[in-house]
Amino acid sequence: MNKNRTTCLVLTLLTLVTLVAAVSGPGKEIRFAVPQSWPKPKYDFKNNRLSLEGFELGRALFYDPLLSSDSSISCASCHLSFTAFTHADHKLSHGIEGLRGTRNSPVLINLAWNTSFMWDGGVNNLEVQAINPLTSPVEMNSKLPELIAKLSRSVKYRKLFFKAFGDSLITTQKLLKSLAQFTGNLVSCNSKYDSVMRREPGVRFSDRELEGYKIFKSNCETCHKEPLFTNFAFENIGLAGDSILKDTGRMKITNNPEDSLKFKVPTLRNIEYSAPYFHDGRVNKLKEVIDHYTSGIVQSPTLAKQLERKIILSGEQKKDLVAFLKTLTDKSFLYNMQFRQAISF
Amino acid sequence: MKGMSVLLLLISVLFWGFAAEGKLTRPANGLKLIFKPVFRGGSLCLHTQAYIDFHGDTLYVDALRFYISSIMLKSKDGGNYKKIPGYHLIDAEDSTTESIRITGVDEGTYTAIRFQIGVDSLTNVSGALDGDLDPAKGMYWAWNTGYIHAKLEGHAKVCPTLHQEFEFHIGGYLPPYQTIRSVELDLGTLKIRANGESVLTLHCDVSKWLAETDLAKTNSVLIPGRQAMKLADNYKEMFSVCTIY
Ligand code: HEC
Ligand code: HEC
Repeated sequence: MNKNRTTCLVLTLLTLVTLVAAVSGPGKEIRFAVPQSWPKPKYDFKNNRLSLEGFELGRALFYDPLLSSDSSISCASCHLSFTAFTHADHKLSHGIEGLRGTRNSPVLINLAWNTSFMWDGGVNNLEVQAINPLTSPVEMNSKLPELIAKLSRSVKYRKLFFKAFGDSLITTQKLLKSLAQFTGNLVSCNSKYDSVMRREPGVRFSDRELEGYKIFKSNCETCHKEPLFTNFAFENIGLAGDSILKDTGRMKITNNPEDSLKFKVPTLRNIEYSAPYFHDGRVNKLKEVIDHYTSGIVQSPTLAKQLERKIILSGEQKKDLVAFLKTLTDKSFLYNMQFRQAISF
Repeated sequence: MKGMSVLLLLISVLFWGFAAEGKLTRPANGLKLIFKPVFRGGSLCLHTQAYIDFHGDTLYVDALRFYISSIMLKSKDGGNYKKIPGYHLIDAEDSTTESIRITGVDEGTYTAIRFQIGVDSLTNVSGALDGDLDPAKGMYWAWNTGYIHAKLEGHAKVCPTLHQEFEFHIGGYLPPYQTIRSVELDLGTLKIRANGESVLTLHCDVSKWLAETDLAKTNSVLIPGRQAMKLADNYKEMFSVCTIY
């Protein structure tokens, strides 16, 4: 087995070790494993001591509809593990009583490297991100003090918080930190692309994938930068404005007209499984995304420089590009049982 | 058994409390800093008391909350400031939040106090925090993350809003709209004693916050920006020394 692949599975192994140990009180600290040759993560687990118990608490919370005002919606309602934690088949996510939000739920992948959160980058730290869905009237509609009171009434959670933090007193801070221990560990680094880059024996790009990779390098790489497939910048890629939602993206946060229609560059990891695409989920197929880049770009004052020059791709080249994008699929991520809802005995 | 020990603990805590009361011991090297909300000198009564602002408009105040941080005292000789860590949320609704007890201040004479209104930039990007900085305290924006440094809410007939209300939620930690403000007040002399607690009472005059605001025109500022900058400049002037002893 390849060494780097092993690092990526460190969490799994530690899980088993700790499970056997099964101690009470704050568990054994786990080191957050950074895949080889990846940049340093932005999120620092130094300020949020990572342990199996903390991760398991975060996971239990992530899958628990108790977190919403009428106990109907969990984080996982909009972020499903087998679609890389996006809301499959939903253009715009909907929350309690079917109320609709205004944006497509993004994938939750490699969040520890994100420099900001949400399509407009309005959130500056992974830990506080969750306050948004928890309290949004169209998502989970909870009030933090009431939610903390609700959790505090649960014997199950008092136990889980005790195991994770050595203290059964439930606070907003502990709730948010444990959620971040779960979401911050949703690392995807075992796609075919990764195996090829790591020169694992017997893994090669097909001719089509290799052609696609070259096309990607010359047209997409500036924004969808390897190895995370995003440079975390905000760009306007010339999507036609919509007259209903009138979402101005980054400008909502900065009030700066130069940021109008700019959205955060999303990662492309597991893109094969995270349809629909774009901030409002307007297209369903990767081919349609590529068609946008070659022939759908709408000119506007804030359009990204890289896209001012027309991208010309033949039908075959488009297929090559799609083939390459599919090498970013990481089955060990999508089917990771540790990321699924825990089975309680 | 467990219940018994809890009971015993409770009793001893109570006794300890009474004993302390009895001897009237005050914390050594202590300073009790009181932030007293007022409106033009008269104490601030929320919801029911009508006030008149500089514009001549009648108004009621429904909420006043602000963070105080980075408290520093300037000593007479050294000229050095002693920085006292911690964030304090002052809430006019809850008088217990109005005093801050500081212990372990070096004995001596101090001539000025400095503090910040609001939460510094580093703390604004530090994730989920606890105590007075708990986001559940309602002094936090989630969608455009950051602390609300100060909040003033109320109602006035001149406000052309739904319930004649005005709302100022002032925050912002990123340039060019940083609204954290520093206040420095001259104290004359403030003595910190080894065997006692000095009390410094400051007034926070809401009328000054509204000094340059025409409520008919400006009645809702809920995001960082130019208007928030101006209001922060105004509330910086709210503070004055009332008594020292
Ligand atoms: C009602 C659907 C819904 C629910 C429930 C929901 N989310 Fe989301 N999530 C979204 C949407 C939509 C966005 C993008 C919002 C935006 O950009 O304005 C998002 C964004 C995020 C992001 C930011 C990802 C990035 O790359 O910027 C994280 C992290 C996240 N959600 C975690 C959670 C957690 C944790 C919970 C549970 C506490 C949760 N979500 C509940 C729909 C939902
Ligand atoms: C100027 C920077 C930039 C370039 C160049 C660029 N993209 Fe994007 N890409 C973005 C941004 C920003 C978004 C999100 C746009 C939105 O939803 O409003 C995006 C979205 C996408 C999505 C949808 C992701 C999702 O989760 O919804 C795919 C797929 C994609 N790009 C592929 C490509 C490909 C393939 C290329 C090269 C042909 C490319 N991009 C070139 C910035 C760029």
